Amino acid sequence: MATVVLQGVYKRFGAVEVVHGIDLEVSENEFVVLVGPSGCGKSTTLRMIAGLEEISEGSLSIDGRVMNRVAPKDRDVAMVFQNYALYPHLNVADNIAFGLRIRKVPKAEIVRSIREIAEVLGLVDYLDRRPADLSGGQRQRVAMGRAIVRHPKVFLFDEPLSNLDAKLRTQMRAEVHRLHNRLAVTSIYVTHDQVEAMTLADRIVVMKDGRIEQIGAPMDLFVNPRNTFVAGFIGSPPMNQFRGTLEIGADGQAVTLGNSRIAVPASVPKCPGREVVLGIRPEHVVTAPTGNSSPVRVALDLVEPLGSDALLHATLAGEPFVVKVDTHGTIGHLAGISEVHVPTEAVKVFDAGTGRVLHRAGPRPENGSD
Amino acid sequence: MTDVSPPKQDAAAHWRRRVGWLADHFRAEWQLYVMLAPMIIWFAVFLYKPMYGLQIAFKDYSVFRGIAASPWVGFEHFETLFSNPQFLRAIKNTIVISTLSLIFGFPVPILLALMFNEILNEVYKRTAQTIVYLPHFISTVIIAGIVITAFSPSAGIVNTVLGWFGIDSIYFLIKPEWFRPIFIGSGIWQEAGFSSIVFLAAIAGVNPSLYESAVVDGASRWQMAWKITIPVIMPTIIIMLIIRIGNLMEVGFELIILLYQPATYQTADVINTFIYRQGLQSGQYDLAAAAGFFNAVVAFVLVMIANSLSKRYSRTSLW
Repeated sequence: MATVVLQGVYKRFGAVEVVHGIDLEVSENEFVVLVGPSGCGKSTTLRMIAGLEEISEGSLSIDGRVMNRVAPKDRDVAMVFQNYALYPHLNVADNIAFGLRIRKVPKAEIVRSIREIAEVLGLVDYLDRRPADLSGGQRQRVAMGRAIVRHPKVFLFDEPLSNLDAKLRTQMRAEVHRLHNRLAVTSIYVTHDQVEAMTLADRIVVMKDGRIEQIGAPMDLFVNPRNTFVAGFIGSPPMNQFRGTLEIGADGQAVTLGNSRIAVPASVPKCPGREVVLGIRPEHVVTAPTGNSSPVRVALDLVEPLGSDALLHATLAGEPFVVKVDTHGTIGHLAGISEVHVPTEAVKVFDAGTGRVLHRAGPRPENGSD
Repeated sequence: MTDVSPPKQDAAAHWRRRVGWLADHFRAEWQLYVMLAPMIIWFAVFLYKPMYGLQIAFKDYSVFRGIAASPWVGFEHFETLFSNPQFLRAIKNTIVISTLSLIFGFPVPILLALMFNEILNEVYKRTAQTIVYLPHFISTVIIAGIVITAFSPSAGIVNTVLGWFGIDSIYFLIKPEWFRPIFIGSGIWQEAGFSSIVFLAAIAGVNPSLYESAVVDGASRWQMAWKITIPVIMPTIIIMLIIRIGNLMEVGFELIILLYQPATYQTADVINTFIYRQGLQSGQYDLAAAAGFFNAVVAFVLVMIANSLSKRYSRTSLW
């Protein structure tokens, strides 16, 4: 088990800098997910940890030892690739054994290890098959088997589930989770799927344009996003965001959007006239008034039933406004909605210029940090 | 009594449907058919139409009577051929030269491709590739001229170098024992570079993450070439081998004709040069056609065997 520490890590390809000074500490046995849109530098960061890309500046330590100049094979890491990277000419057993054979592990031990891994991953019946004869989920299991069999200090996952269909992805996600609970190995997982990040991570690292936007426990990022980017990236559907101006009334600070006046939490510093972005999570909006909420008139144009929930697509002050409501088994009553209620404490306020949040809200999760 | 008319009607309807489908397909995709046409015409004119003339292998052919009017003689020409020691020698030489070319010539482009793949400096790589591709674009006549000059006993570079070591000049091109190494060697020099393009393309198609995964596993460059590159491009290697085996009987006879002489017939005369001498120089078209027919049948059988063996053992085949 090992810690992984990145200090001021930069990556440049010629004159182009793609990672701009990343600082990250991954604790022993922790499962950290790097998440962000395409091109944010998350895969490059992972590849620098693996040793597949050189670190242009800064340092990488695994278990206290600086690894910048250490060959990938000597870093004691194992990587699972997006496209599985299985050797097409080798069967499952030989694919799993590849790394062990390269390291000249005794034959008897290789056989025992293959057996053990195949049992853990449910691959016993497929050991003689070649990758072409396996389903996507089975291939991904083989790829994981190949990583696990070496008992590395650190697992690196590079979007391992993105080639699978939605149903299989959910299954495999749970399998990755169970595997981590069982093996308790430090893991760094790259994905662009925030649902994967939320469900798997002990801590999530949100990246954008080669920089870390926020690090924290999944629920901490959801409840207390540091800026509009994190607010929009974490959560599905994403947080609604509206530009407006803070104004002070008898009932406290509020922002007027269209014909509606939306009160903001008392924790927002008083600064009338400040240009802000209001963030409202779709699932926090309710259809009936609550103790402390602002009524909002909306023009509903679509109801999307999802089963237990439905998404109401409306317009507020000319901007799209998505609301997630319980259906209670029927959606007939939803089509007539023209007013919804935004609980004041659920409103997030960000500075319109910098995008940074102006206040914190909700209980801070115990293991969160940012 | 059974009524057979419904199946007949079914069959007719079935054919009408297929013809209708083909007509629709042609109307929709006529551009593709137009692009395909030159190749089909080429095959028809140069490969299928001449097959009509193949029948002279079984006829006492006379140019004046024409193909159709010449009388059938059955396998007489084949009997003549197989009782001719020169033809038997040509078969033996063809097999020996082809087999040696295959053994020594086939792996060279693969090795070249693997080596090119390891060169990291792009400029050096491109220069090296151009140098080895170049001989392919030189006409066979010039190649023969270069070979004759290089091995010349008076001023040839080979004998000059041998002279530095105190070795007497050797008349390479009139010594039967030297013909095959010179022919096979010059063939490799001319074609190995260009043939390596196919393998380079196959190597370029290998998924880079296979190498990355192997690097993380601790594989050396040698292990990656041996355990990943070669096995992954094996289907290409096998396809090229099948094609090569299919052409086994087609020894590059232009170079042989340009290099051989009666003194080296003993090791140099192959079926194609025999056909050339019999057919074009001696005017025995029917005998030459019989020799050519024999050659084609052997080549066909070879390619069928190679294909089925490959299909059985490596799951890779041409068809």
